[in-house]
Order: sequence, then structure tokens, then C-alpha cells
Amino acid sequence: MVRKIKSKPVKKFTKPARKTSTKSFRPEFAEAYKAWEKGPLRERLAPGEIKPRFRCYSGGLKEETKQEFRTGGGEIVVKRLYTPLDLEGTDPVQDIGFPGQFPFTRGRDPLGYRAFRWPLSFYSGYGSSESANERYRALYAAGSNHIILALDLPTQNGYDSDHPMARGEVGKVGVALCTIPDMERVFNGLPLDRIHTGTVGNCIGPWALAMFHTLGERFELDPAKMRVWIQNDPIKEYTGRGTYIFPPRVAVDLASDVVEYIRKYLPGWEPQYNCTTTMRWGGCTPSQEIGFGVANLVAYIEAAQKKGIPPEDFVPWINLHMTADNDFFEEVAKFRAVRRLWARVARERFNTDDPQVLALRLTIFTGGHRLTAQEPLNNIVRTTMHVLASILGGVESISTPAHDEALALPTFESTRLSQITKSILHDESLVGQTVDPMGGSYFVESLTNQLEERGRQVYEQVEKQGGALAALEKGFYLREMAEGMYRYQKEVESGQRSIIAVNKYVLEKEVPIKLFEGDAEAERRQIERLNKVRRERDQSRAQKSLAEIRRIAESKATGRNGNIVPAMIEAVNAHATVGEIFGLLREIFGEYKPPTII
Amino acid sequence: MAKKVRVLMAKPGLDGHETGAKLVSRALRDAGMEVIYTGPRQTPEMIVQAAVQEDVDIIGLSILSGAHKEFASRVIGLMEEKGIADTPVVMGGIIPQEDIPVLKGMGVKAVFGPGTNTEDIVDFLQKKLDLPASR
Repeated sequence: MVRKIKSKPVKKFTKPARKTSTKSFRPEFAEAYKAWEKGPLRERLAPGEIKPRFRCYSGGLKEETKQEFRTGGGEIVVKRLYTPLDLEGTDPVQDIGFPGQFPFTRGRDPLGYRAFRWPLSFYSGYGSSESANERYRALYAAGSNHIILALDLPTQNGYDSDHPMARGEVGKVGVALCTIPDMERVFNGLPLDRIHTGTVGNCIGPWALAMFHTLGERFELDPAKMRVWIQNDPIKEYTGRGTYIFPPRVAVDLASDVVEYIRKYLPGWEPQYNCTTTMRWGGCTPSQEIGFGVANLVAYIEAAQKKGIPPEDFVPWINLHMTADNDFFEEVAKFRAVRRLWARVARERFNTDDPQVLALRLTIFTGGHRLTAQEPLNNIVRTTMHVLASILGGVESISTPAHDEALALPTFESTRLSQITKSILHDESLVGQTVDPMGGSYFVESLTNQLEERGRQVYEQVEKQGGALAALEKGFYLREMAEGMYRYQKEVESGQRSIIAVNKYVLEKEVPIKLFEGDAEAERRQIERLNKVRRERDQSRAQKSLAEIRRIAESKATGRNGNIVPAMIEAVNAHATVGEIFGLLREIFGEYKPPTII
Repeated sequence: MAKKVRVLMAKPGLDGHETGAKLVSRALRDAGMEVIYTGPRQTPEMIVQAAVQEDVDIIGLSILSGAHKEFASRVIGLMEEKGIADTPVVMGGIIPQEDIPVLKGMGVKAVFGPGTNTEDIVDFLQKKLDLPASR
């Protein structure tokens, strides 16, 4: 489907010979270290009773609790102590450097969080458009100005609410949107010009763009002046969430239509969030999250290049959307490592020194996969740690799942709590007062080095297979994820890995918590409304708009270039339904059938 | 030689979160059962048809989208129509505590929530259900 265009010749990049600094590990230090090993350490490990000077009144043990300590991702052995000796070969300028400067290990912004305010963002939406609207108004009144629209599964899959596949799922995991009047109801009474909004719609990216665009026009706003982001990352659907529609290459081409349209006409919009979150949740290790993320970004940038959008006109508007897992230091290091690896890979790959391309923005949705259904209040502590790791990793944006999400859709209270967690950390714990406070930590720098190195190996593994799309089509991503997930589960079941209240300190009888209750009538009402829109619209305009989508899609299917977005905007305006639009696109492009990899 | 227990592991509806279904499938396979995994996007009709065709001893449904009551009732209703109502159905996924009695009332034999030890699931299937291998 994607037109073959000769890619720019890639300049062979040779690593510059590096000068290693010798200042940080003077010979005296190595001697002092040996003295420590022979002194306090040997004394502590000596057989027999624990020496009085090391004794403590509770908790102190004679022996270390494990033979070997490993990071949460399981790939790296954690040493007893890190010292300057571990950073031998790490150059304080070339490797660690300064914030806002290549290789961006210490962050993109020289001012860090000293010039930053955390927006109160949330990912929410359920049931009917009016109950979603009610929740949004309540959250807006509570100070939130970022609304990330959660869509129900039929909408994400391009089905109308009355499609046979939609039965029982309308309004369940998000709000049901079939036509533009649904969208207008969702945002009714909200000041769209003061809200930053968007949605996770990935395989329906061009339609999601058209919905927000038309919404803006109907609220009498200039769409170009709105602030909207569309996740628009179909790759994540084949590897994680599973709401794919078309074969991967078709989906990436349609996603690039969104990129092209936004970059040309909608300067305030963010055209893509490249997501590794769900890959990690599905079993990836941290270095795979880094390597797959970089490989996926490369694939999207190349797809945009085919539309004539150069990296410098695309990368500054996108984010790598990662997660934050439980191993605190490993996650901090991961964020630092992925920035550095991206800077180095992108410099080689796109042959540029433009900091706009080389400085990667990171958006975090913290570890929902680590939240437990057992004693859900414990999840508040887990999420706090995920958020802190993200802040100390110097990321640009953080969203969190609510603590009760492993049980049901979040309540207002849990959504509010998850939103303000980062503000409590930032405003009250004062962790953002200096830029990259973890920089120079022997341990974190050592982890950063190892994760960058391993991330690069993963990236090269993907590239050897022909890049992200080929690796995806060959089932490589899914196989690796299934392996990782199985390994993790076995570690939990054997007790090698502790999860409090799941396999350690388990309560006999749990304390029930208050859960959200859905709107049982949502599906019926939604279908009634959909039928009303279908009946009352200007039929000839709707049909004409669908015919135009068909014309462009058919032309794309024969390998011609074109952009589906303008036709999509007209179809949404003409009250064509999501199911009509994607039904005909399914006919033309075919549907993806996933390989079964267990 | 005893006949292997055949399990149909199915994901009804549009929910694409497959991790749990795959994990349990693998654990059951490791425990010596034969697992037929449908993949996601199955209608109740497709699931029951597969169960009949594959002549399975047990049906597992994995649902994280909140549509568990709807799907359980439709699958069980169709199983009655097709004459396989005695095949036990177990479920997993994100299912609120208060819905478990409702599902059991429909005839679901067990509901396994997040964090369940896969060995407990294997154990339940082998010991609590009247399956060929344990007959």
C-alpha cells in the first residue's frame, strides 16, 4: 500500500574515538575501595555472631537475603555497591553531559522542572456521552484542563453501537462515539478553547482527527488553534491492546496521513504518541521497551518521510509514550538511557545534528500492569513510586491509572487521586528543584549505561529483521512479549518475586472498597440516538462523502499516494457513522488476522 | 493412554488484552492439557461452534472489558441450544467481586481474577471438575 520511495542514503556513522576521563577515579580511590573490602565489608561477612557495631534492633540479618540481586526487568545483576570505578569509561561530557544538550541523558530542557507545571490530566470516559460529559465537567471544575477521551471498544474498532460485534460492549471501557452529535454532547458546556484534549484512537486515527476537527468547527473555534493530540500509533494495537483493524502497513500509511495533515494544517496538534507502554505491560523487558520504542519511532519517521514530512518537521511534535514499572532505579535509568540511545541512533540514521530531532520527548502512563486487584489501596503506593521514578527520569508528561482500575472502571475519587499524585510529589516533596537529581549517581549512571547498551542490541535485532513492521509481521514482538510474561508469572508463582498481598502478606479476608457502577441503559440509548442521526441526516451528502472516502482508499490500495483526512472530515460533518466509514475501509483494505502466539 | 483434557480458551468480544488468556493457556498446556486458543474478537456463536467442533472438555472465557455478564449469558445460552450445556465454563479477567455470584448463578463454574496463581487454576480444573483425565 505504501508507495516505495528511495530512502535517503544513510551516511555511515563511525563512532568518534572517545577520550576517557581519568579525573573521577583516581588511583587513590581504587586503593580506598580495596581497604573498604578488607575492612568493614570483610568484618560484616565474617562467620559467627554478627558484630555488635553492625547489629540493629529489628530486621538486621546475618546474611544477605538473596544469592543474587537482579533488577526488576531481570536482565541486570545489581552489585552490592556502586562506586566511581563502575563509571570507568563513562565520559562526564560525552555520555552524561548537560540537560538540553546532546546526548540528552540529563533531559531535554536546561531548566528541567524549575520551569514546569504539571497539568492535571486524566484519561476518562465511559457509558453514554452524557455521563462522560458529567464526569468531565466535574473534573474540569476540580481544576483539570487535560481531557484524554477514553473510547469504548466498538468505537476503537470502527463499529457502530448497533453492530453485532458491539453487543454488550457499548460504553463499557470508554464513551461510545458513532457520529459527531455524540462528540458534541461529550464536550457540551466545556470551554474547548481552554482545554487540551485528545484520544487514544489508533487504528481510527484519521477519523479521530476528523471528529475533533469538526467538533472545533461546531464550537466555532478555528481547529488550527485547538490543542489536540491523537495517539495515532497502530503498531501498539498489534502488540498490546489488540484494537487493530487493517493489516499493519495499511494502518501505518493511514497514520501517516494524520501526521501529514496535522503538520501541514494544524500547528497546535500533536500527531502521534508512539507507545511502548502496552508492550511492556505485555511482557517486554526494560531494554526491549527501549529498543522496540526506538525501532518503532524509526518506522514512523520513515513512513512520514514518504509523505514528504522530514524528521525535523515531525519529531518535535511527537512523544515516546512509555510506562514506569516497579524497579525504581531501573526505571529512572531507562528514561535517561532511551533519551541517549535515541539521540545517538537518530543522529546516525537521519544524519542530522538538529537537536529538535535528537531530543526525545517522553510521556509516561505509569504501570497499570503492576496494580493488583488484591488490596487495591496498596496501588496508591505503587503508583506514587512509578510517578517518582518518572519525575526523576526527567519525563515531559505523566498520567496514572487509578488504584481501583484492576477491579473496575475508576470512580471520581480515584481518578482525582491519581491526577494529583504527581502534584503532591512535585509541590510538596520538592523533587524537581534541581535538574536531573539522579545524575552522577554511580548506580543510576551504571544502569543507564547498561540499559542503553542492551536497548541498542534489541534495536539492532529488530533492524536486522527489516525494521519494526517486519518484526511485527514475523511475530517477533509477540513472541518476545509472551516469553517475558511467562517468565514473570513463573517468578511470581515460585515466590522468587514478591508482590505484596498477592504472594506475600496475603490477607485472609479482604476489605471491600467502593467501586464505580456503570450505566446499564447506555447501550440502548446510544443505539436509539444513532438511528435518529441516520434517519435525520442529509442522506445524499452522507453518501457522497462516503463515496469520496471509497475513491481515495481504492486509489491508496492500488499503491497511489493520497491523504484520507479531508474526506474523513467531510464524512464526519455529513453525519456518516464510524461503522459506515470503517466498514467500507475494511472492504477495501481487508482485516488483520493475528498470528496465535502463546 | 488417558485422553488429554481439551480446553477451549476464548476471548469474547472486542477486548484485545490477551496476556492473561495466553498465560493461562500456556500453563494448562504445560500441565498436559490440550489448549485451543481462539484469539480475540470472538462472538458467542464462534466460541460455541469451536467448542462443538473441537469437542472440548472445558471452556475458558477471558474478559477484561466489563462485558462479562452479557457474554457469559450468551455463551451459556448457545451452549444449551447446541446441546453442550454440560461442558464446564470458567472465566478470568477483570470481574468485580459482586458479579461472581451472578456469573455462578448462570452456571459458570469458577471465576479467576487478576493475580491468580496459574497452578491454582490447573489444580481446580483437574480436581474440582469432572474431566476425562480425572474420571
